[in-house]
Amino acid sequence: MSIKTANNKEFEEFLKKLSREYLLYAPVLNEKDDKVVFEPINEDNISKITLGCQADVPLKECILPYNEKLSIEENPDKKIVILGARACDIEAVRVIDDVFLDEPVDPYYQDRRDKTIIIGYSCAKMEPTCFCDTVGIDPVEHDSAQAYLYKEGEKYFLKVMDEELESLFTSLPGGNEEELAELIDNRRNGMADSNFEIDLPVPVPEAAAFAASCWEKIAEKCLGCGVCTYYCPTCYCFGFFWQDKDGEDKWRAWDSCMFSLYTKHASGHNPRNSKDKRYRQRVMHKFSYHPENYGKLACVGCGRCIKRCPVHLDIRSALKLVENELKEEGGK
Amino acid sequence: MANKIDEIREIARKLMEEETVERVIGYGKADFTEEMTPVFITSPEEVEKLLFNEKSNMMLAKYLLNYKDSKTGIVAKPCDTRAIASYLSEDMLKRDNVVIIGINDCPGMTDNTACNECEVRNPVLSDYTVGEEGEVPELKLDKTLEEMSTAERKEYFVDQFSRCMRCYACRQACYVCYCEECFVDSNQPRWVGQGTNPEDNFTYHLMRAMHMAGRCINCGACEVACPEDIDVRALTAHLSRYAEEIYNFKSGMDPQAKTLLSDYNPDDSQPGFID
Repeated sequence: MSIKTANNKEFEEFLKKLSREYLLYAPVLNEKDDKVVFEPINEDNISKITLGCQADVPLKECILPYNEKLSIEENPDKKIVILGARACDIEAVRVIDDVFLDEPVDPYYQDRRDKTIIIGYSCAKMEPTCFCDTVGIDPVEHDSAQAYLYKEGEKYFLKVMDEELESLFTSLPGGNEEELAELIDNRRNGMADSNFEIDLPVPVPEAAAFAASCWEKIAEKCLGCGVCTYYCPTCYCFGFFWQDKDGEDKWRAWDSCMFSLYTKHASGHNPRNSKDKRYRQRVMHKFSYHPENYGKLACVGCGRCIKRCPVHLDIRSALKLVENELKEEGGK
Repeated sequence: MANKIDEIREIARKLMEEETVERVIGYGKADFTEEMTPVFITSPEEVEKLLFNEKSNMMLAKYLLNYKDSKTGIVAKPCDTRAIASYLSEDMLKRDNVVIIGINDCPGMTDNTACNECEVRNPVLSDYTVGEEGEVPELKLDKTLEEMSTAERKEYFVDQFSRCMRCYACRQACYVCYCEECFVDSNQPRWVGQGTNPEDNFTYHLMRAMHMAGRCINCGACEVACPEDIDVRALTAHLSRYAEEIYNFKSGMDPQAKTLLSDYNPDDSQPGFID
């Protein structure tokens, strides 16, 4: 491990170097719609890199594109660097890895992941929709990134965890380990909690939670759109389709369990024929099925589903209602 | 606004206590944020949850279709009352099953540019009203698109729709989009491709718009719902403006009126909607 520092100018030079040698993705402010989105960085947009707020769209599109032609040749040749990933989004990549790198391995995803270096970005404050602390994530630092970036005032610190990567950072001046440790401590101590506590075992007991009667009430206001899934950093469901008649040009694109077509059988029967069943599936996948199969939650508490929901349906409210019902049942 | 909230609660309490309705749909505060969210009141004790302010920008009328066969009270902005009037003229609801608590003198909502163009500031039908009737403020009609050439307009929409993630929030929020099976959800045959190919995105928005002629009330629910802030309302709002200019028809103003497309007169002017 080594520590580097940079001022604004040195940092910009460093970014330029990265963008020349790698396919560099970073959160960029798009002026047209005022959104911060991970985009490939070049000379034109390097000045628009925005690290001060959570990206509006998660970074999953960098490793699992919305539309993807299934061919290794279509993948980028260059190594990919994703800079500015926050702890929630880094944890989310681990969740997607669980699925795509488990047997049978997805070769297109694996190829992209093998080429990917993640440089994390330390959070300094929680937004009202954030609850990563509740799901066991430290917003200040995540140890799955190969390097981590900390910004304090006009000063940048870089912690390089992966020795193979050190050459990337040689142009930057060295930093003081104790100074960085103090910064990290101060952040951890100064960060306000999300004030959301959940008293449910993990995995959430499948049979009891599935049978709970509160789902209809929870999903009453749900419009049935796909916003929560498309903005979720861990929702990875996709569908295949072919762009040609010969069946050679095979593609995949994101799909959403919030759509009725998602589970519709060829017979016309639909096992998830109402929005409460679909919403239940989404929550159960995050808090029961994925933890059961892979030993970790599939919700990283980023709060994008809450922030983007057109009717402000809040997954925290849903979990509270489930918790209350299971407690009542348990008390009987 | 505080008076309006008191009035809403008083009416809702009466409806619940007298068991006139099974539920009241209104607005309340979200549990963990300062946002407004739809609330479904089922007991007199819960009426204290009801609130109303400029952030009450969600269209509630569409929820009525989930409760067609039982009596429901609804807090309705003037645009919601227009949606209800349309549902009645399209035979989608029974008047007896809806108790409308109409909001007078609607101030216009945040994040909804349709409110700048809205000249219906009081309910078109209601059982109760809250507040005093208000005047129509000075409207801000945006004519930028009309002044563009066809090619420029196309470029504008291609650019707008290129951001579309096909989450269908616009469709789900729209009071008109109540088809049991939307054409995009059909896979035998599949009318629109999967993924977010720009042509398929364009097809989706254009085909949705074609079903809106004489039905869109320009409430802006689609715009409010869109997570990408796409100008989804522009196409449908233009269709309603043309319906008014050409046929003197304004949807959702009269529950007894025939719908634009179910009425025919040999003298009707017949310009295309798209020139």
